[in-house]
Amino acid sequence: MSVRTNKDKLVAVSVMGQIASPGFPGLPAEPYRLDAHGRPFLLPTYGGIVYNVSVGDSAYGWLADCIHPGVSISLKDDNGNRGLNLFACVGNSAMVMTGDARGAKGFVTGKSGRFSEHVILHFSKADREKMAIGDKINIKSVGVGMELLDHPNVTLKSCSVDLIEGLEVTTNPDGRLNVPVTAVVPPHLLGAGAGLTSEGGSLHIQSQDRDALREAGLDALRLGDVVALTDYDSSFNHGYLRGALGIGVIGQGDSPRSGYGPGVTLVMTSMTGGINPVVSPGVNIADIFLSNE
Amino acid sequence: MPLATNEAHLVEMAVMGNISQPSLRYPGYTLDNIGVGRVLPGMSGVVYNARVGDPAFGWAGDHVEPGVSIANPDAAAEFALHYLTCIGNRAVVTSGMAKGAEGIVTGEHARMLVDFAPDVNELLCVGDAIQIFAYGRGLALTDFPQIELKKVSPRLLDGIPLEVTDGGRKIRVPVTMELPPRIMGSGAELNSEYVDQDLMSGDRALMADLGIDQMRLGDLVVIPDADHRYGRGYRKGAATIALCIHGDSVMTGHGPGILTLMSAPEPVIEWVIDPNANIANYLNIREAS
Repeated sequence: MSVRTNKDKLVAVSVMGQIASPGFPGLPAEPYRLDAHGRPFLLPTYGGIVYNVSVGDSAYGWLADCIHPGVSISLKDDNGNRGLNLFACVGNSAMVMTGDARGAKGFVTGKSGRFSEHVILHFSKADREKMAIGDKINIKSVGVGMELLDHPNVTLKSCSVDLIEGLEVTTNPDGRLNVPVTAVVPPHLLGAGAGLTSEGGSLHIQSQDRDALREAGLDALRLGDVVALTDYDSSFNHGYLRGALGIGVIGQGDSPRSGYGPGVTLVMTSMTGGINPVVSPGVNIADIFLSNE
Repeated sequence: MPLATNEAHLVEMAVMGNISQPSLRYPGYTLDNIGVGRVLPGMSGVVYNARVGDPAFGWAGDHVEPGVSIANPDAAAEFALHYLTCIGNRAVVTSGMAKGAEGIVTGEHARMLVDFAPDVNELLCVGDAIQIFAYGRGLALTDFPQIELKKVSPRLLDGIPLEVTDGGRKIRVPVTMELPPRIMGSGAELNSEYVDQDLMSGDRALMADLGIDQMRLGDLVVIPDADHRYGRGYRKGAATIALCIHGDSVMTGHGPGILTLMSAPEPVIEWVIDPNANIANYLNIREAS
């Protein structure tokens, strides 16, 4: 039985961003960051048009630091960028409005956090070839304000109607919301993003202890995978709380940095145990939104 | 037996900051754990009635910074203030009514935190200049290259009753309590040379169960399985000794601030629970007044 929502009351509104350039710090042109052992590295990181990494691909193994699959957009104006980051919902449709790829259709796959604040979009690889940094992309944002009428203890964030319907969430006989997930993340493996906003941005799985990652079954995650975050309340910021549980989508790739790893875009949270994560292999937003490609 | 260090090679130099003015973004609300908007004091300025050695929990405040909070208006100089200042360094007021008064560095949050005697605090004004004799950056334990020291002044290192154990292979540090790695929160996104990481106090029942709500400002604590050498992350077998530098918070993912002092990626740091493990005792902070 599908769940009831207030989707007929939601307001759809445009938010626009421009394809963001990758960036590095200025003079003295020290390009390195340090990995968890203090070793300097220089690798592609967030921003830009990523031609060969897409949702559905592995979150691990890329020679990159928190790479965003597909296309990253932002707006130079801080307040406008906040509007973009807050209102864009995973699964919302996007269209390129300027440049050679104008008219191309894509969708939101994730968001990035405190130091970039991008919205991450999927477009076909053929469309990416035609895009230029600075191209305007418009998102038809709809989802903020959505509620599950029979699950008042579940809060939705950055979650589109298409995502809720595509995930095929159901009501358990005990009243909880059943949500299919690929994996379950224990709280000691959540790092960067804790204490920061849960309305946008990202919360990162920590990947430095590879044994711990393997034991938790998190070493084969793919970009776009749906995961559960145990004992984490994301009602107001992300933070530890026994019995709380969040649902997120893997938005960014792995990182060599301490406290970082694959980034999660939060889409649902319950402070009081209202979500029942149902582990089943390969729950990924690519399967929901890419079926027509 | 004092541990061998490279102290003879350290360079001591001046950095400075001005006493900061508390600031709020209109309309001033901070959302608490259940989404209620709160307006609370605690950060910046001169905090007259919370001092190192006082409780970290229970204030009608948020992120209470004990004593005096200073910052430098120039961005590069501000980072120098953050990166070169060490806990236990000497501070001197260089302008205003309290000119010449001496204090001691007790923490680093978004601003540097300095303790002065209460009668000095009465004479301090927002904007007064405070100079710090920065000394300790580069300090290392000669016989323990696996242990990274951060912002530990030689004075603080001398004050902590450290023991060498396991035939010289490990050191043992007194701490008031253990913090489980799963409650370490805000600050994970920053490099570990900069400010602190909050413990997440939102699970109030857990705070009481583990006695974490008894923490005091200035307490030494241990985080098992935390590697804070380059960033703040989970690593089985690692250990980090840290210092409580600011008070509790109502915000989810926040709580008392925990500043890294020592970290090793492998099991060379042991700890012993000691309720007196507080820098107020190790640096004689409250005795003089």
